[in-house]
Amino acid sequence: MKKIIALFATLALAGSAFAVEIGKPAPDFTGTDINGKTVKLSDYKGKIVVIESYNSDCPFCHNHYATGAMQELQRGLAAKGVVWLLVDSVNTNNFSYRTPEQARKEWTDLKIAATAWLDDHSGDIGHLYGMKTTPHCFVVAADGTLVYAGAIDDRPSPSGDPRTAKNYVRAAVDELLAGKPVTVVQTKPYGCGVHYAN
Amino acid sequence: MRRIVVLISICLGLAALTTRAAHTHVQLLLSADTAKPGDTIWAGVDMKMDAGWHTYWKNPGDSGIATTIKWDLPPGVTAGEIQWPLPEKLPPAEVTTYGYENEVMLLVPLTLATNLPPGPLVLKVDVAWLECQEQCVPGKTNVEATLIVGGETKTSADAAAIESWKNKAPQSSQDWSVQAWWEKLANGDTRPLIIEGNFDGDIAGLLPDKFDFYPDARDSFEIQAATEKVANTSALFCFRKTAKKFSGDWPKEISGVLVFGTSQAWTKTSPNGIEIKLPIKDQSPAEETTSATVSTLPAQPLWQMLFYAFIGGLILNLMPCVLPVIALKILSFVSEANSEPHRVRKLGVIYTLGVLLSFLALAALVIGVKTAGHHAGWGMQFGSPVFIVCLTTLVTLVALNLFGVFEVTLGGRVLDTAGELASKHGAAGAFFNGVLATILATPCTAPFLGAALGFAFAQKSSIIVLIFLTVGLGLASPYVVLSWNPAWLKFLPKPGAWMEKFKIAMGFPMLATVVWLFNIAGSSYGKNVLWLGIFLVVVALAAWIYGEFFQRGRKRKTVAAIVTLILLAGGYAFALEKELNWRTAMPDISATGSLKESADGIDWQRWTPEAVAAARAAGKPVLVDFTADWCLTCQVNKKTSIETSSVREKLKSMNAVTLLGDYTHFPDAITTELNRYNRAGVPLVLVYPKNAAAQPIVLPEVLTPGIVLAALGRALE
Repeated sequence: MKKIIALFATLALAGSAFAVEIGKPAPDFTGTDINGKTVKLSDYKGKIVVIESYNSDCPFCHNHYATGAMQELQRGLAAKGVVWLLVDSVNTNNFSYRTPEQARKEWTDLKIAATAWLDDHSGDIGHLYGMKTTPHCFVVAADGTLVYAGAIDDRPSPSGDPRTAKNYVRAAVDELLAGKPVTVVQTKPYGCGVHYAN
Repeated sequence: MRRIVVLISICLGLAALTTRAAHTHVQLLLSADTAKPGDTIWAGVDMKMDAGWHTYWKNPGDSGIATTIKWDLPPGVTAGEIQWPLPEKLPPAEVTTYGYENEVMLLVPLTLATNLPPGPLVLKVDVAWLECQEQCVPGKTNVEATLIVGGETKTSADAAAIESWKNKAPQSSQDWSVQAWWEKLANGDTRPLIIEGNFDGDIAGLLPDKFDFYPDARDSFEIQAATEKVANTSALFCFRKTAKKFSGDWPKEISGVLVFGTSQAWTKTSPNGIEIKLPIKDQSPAEETTSATVSTLPAQPLWQMLFYAFIGGLILNLMPCVLPVIALKILSFVSEANSEPHRVRKLGVIYTLGVLLSFLALAALVIGVKTAGHHAGWGMQFGSPVFIVCLTTLVTLVALNLFGVFEVTLGGRVLDTAGELASKHGAAGAFFNGVLATILATPCTAPFLGAALGFAFAQKSSIIVLIFLTVGLGLASPYVVLSWNPAWLKFLPKPGAWMEKFKIAMGFPMLATVVWLFNIAGSSYGKNVLWLGIFLVVVALAAWIYGEFFQRGRKRKTVAAIVTLILLAGGYAFALEKELNWRTAMPDISATGSLKESADGIDWQRWTPEAVAAARAAGKPVLVDFTADWCLTCQVNKKTSIETSSVREKLKSMNAVTLLGDYTHFPDAITTELNRYNRAGVPLVLVYPKNAAAQPIVLPEVLTPGIVLAALGRALE
């Protein structure tokens, strides 16, 4: 009986395209960052983790970094002990792919203030989380529960100042730190499509 | 050297800017060069994309941004809604978008006020878009066109092009009938949706595999891009989409474009899509027609339902679940009637109190479950494995007590001489009997009770409490009557040695109840229910040690007590906690397909609304049996009136379809179906006649073979 249940459970999980669900544990993943280090989501258990699907060639993502708004947010949250992971799922054949060396240069040039940039050119992490756009953001609470998935803010624009927008990631983190329940748990993400391998 | 490098990089940068922004060429076209005041002309925002580049529809899909148009119009000119030509669905599957390649012309009606002075008008528009190929580039431009207001309307050279693009924008249509309904309840934040319908014209040329739905964009939810065709004999098209909710409640309606594929033969004067906006129903059209006739049962007056509740409670005394406890009640009455008749009245009242308080607790539970938003059903506590294990253990102990293995101050001391029966013990016993009778009554529904409870579950809290208390009164009423008039007690036999034998004999129906509860536990635990059995044996041993050495023994009573506790604790820790993992049941994964009970039994198929619809569409009568492992009335019905040779033969000769709805673990689909027939729980047996338009025959709760055969006979008419 137990075996049958396990079989059904794995089939069900395999069948579902996206394993993420608000209120459930955020799936663990293992990635390699642009410095060659292995990074696991479970390494950061006990801390709030923000996951951002990244591609600086996408005008929406680009605007967040060019205006400095994203780095400011990353710094501000890091000061509160929040971990920020960039997940770059662009496949190697795409114009926007960055080799680790190019990525390291971009990290310095843009003054990215995140914790790590994960090279996900296989698309495994992106597919696991159902990342559709860049930027597509996820917030994981300290106990590992996914509390937010969706757009970074309410202003889908490739220009202008993102600081004027209502930032869902900052709101979710602030509510978590205050011990309050997260009010906006899911929104439709905006941006360019993630360039997965075909 | 450095200056040259800077110059070159500026040039390259500039070149990049111009080429990067120039993948889409935008111009503003008008359908008329000259127009009269009061006229409505069409403006076409024409966008020509370079090869490989695309722009987006009003709902861009998983990524991208819709093109936006912002008018800068002179006073007297108002712009209407954008007419979007039918887009393409663009790959990849994991990030699907809706957009345009090569060229699109977005059309906007412009209305001229009637008091516009003649002369030229400059119409300006800001267009912003996202153009994507391998990468995405935002674009924006400002274009303008001039319209002359004059005495006549002169169409422009672009009018033909504008007209052809207008014909590519989907409109609503009366020729299509479309329905949308939720296939299931939500699974987390996604929920499947079925869209089906028909075309009233000539369907030759329509490709049934190429139907799709492109939704309008909404803030609180999205309809995902994946489309799955669903077999349906009664509709031209039927497919499944998945809705994903971001916030708020599930939507009550959807709007967007129904898209269809056509072969070469289809006349192409209009686009391959129509605009639809429809409510999302909670049940399929097939179910709707059957339920529309049934669910409009006349609203029963409250007094009638209270009457049914009382009679139902009364009859519950005779139901197989409750009978053993009633036997105990008889014993205690007999003993008390003789010893202290004046206390009989008091104990009758206390028994009633026990019943009423238990029913009150049940009503509170039902109200709580309903407030939490779940379906409540009669007998639902039997879905909790913890409850079943506790009840099984309890009934085992009661059986052991009746056999005399140990004594409890709970109605066991029937041979007490008069006066020794302390009022406290008797009252506790009477109260406990009342509670026990209620607990055991819950999985049974009696005639009349089903209707009363079905009525109650749909009402507000105060009515629920009232009906439940009335059932309790019905259940307790024989004893209230008996205890109130002690003179009637002289009809009961005088106490004597027979009472001890009767008490032991009543232990056997209790054992039978244990076996039946064990069977129910089996459906929650599978083969591991063995450990529950072992736990019960340990409990029995502990009970004997307690009874023999502690209660009846004289020496080493403390040792006996300790051994008893060790046995109980050990049995619990090992058998229940470790081996059985008793708090978590394993859901019953029954094999799909046939649910035959025995080699020559009825060939039951699993019940689904679709199976009913399919059988009726095929012109076959259908027998539906909603049952549960814990429902004793259902099991008795099955044994006596359904799985009998006469009924089996009749079903075979009728070529009837037999469907079994297993309610053991309270699937929501069956709760909805039960509610449709105003029933709060199982059993519910339906016979759908051969005539697909006829209403189903609802059978009473307690069946006889005659009732079933008569209904089957009527189904053939």
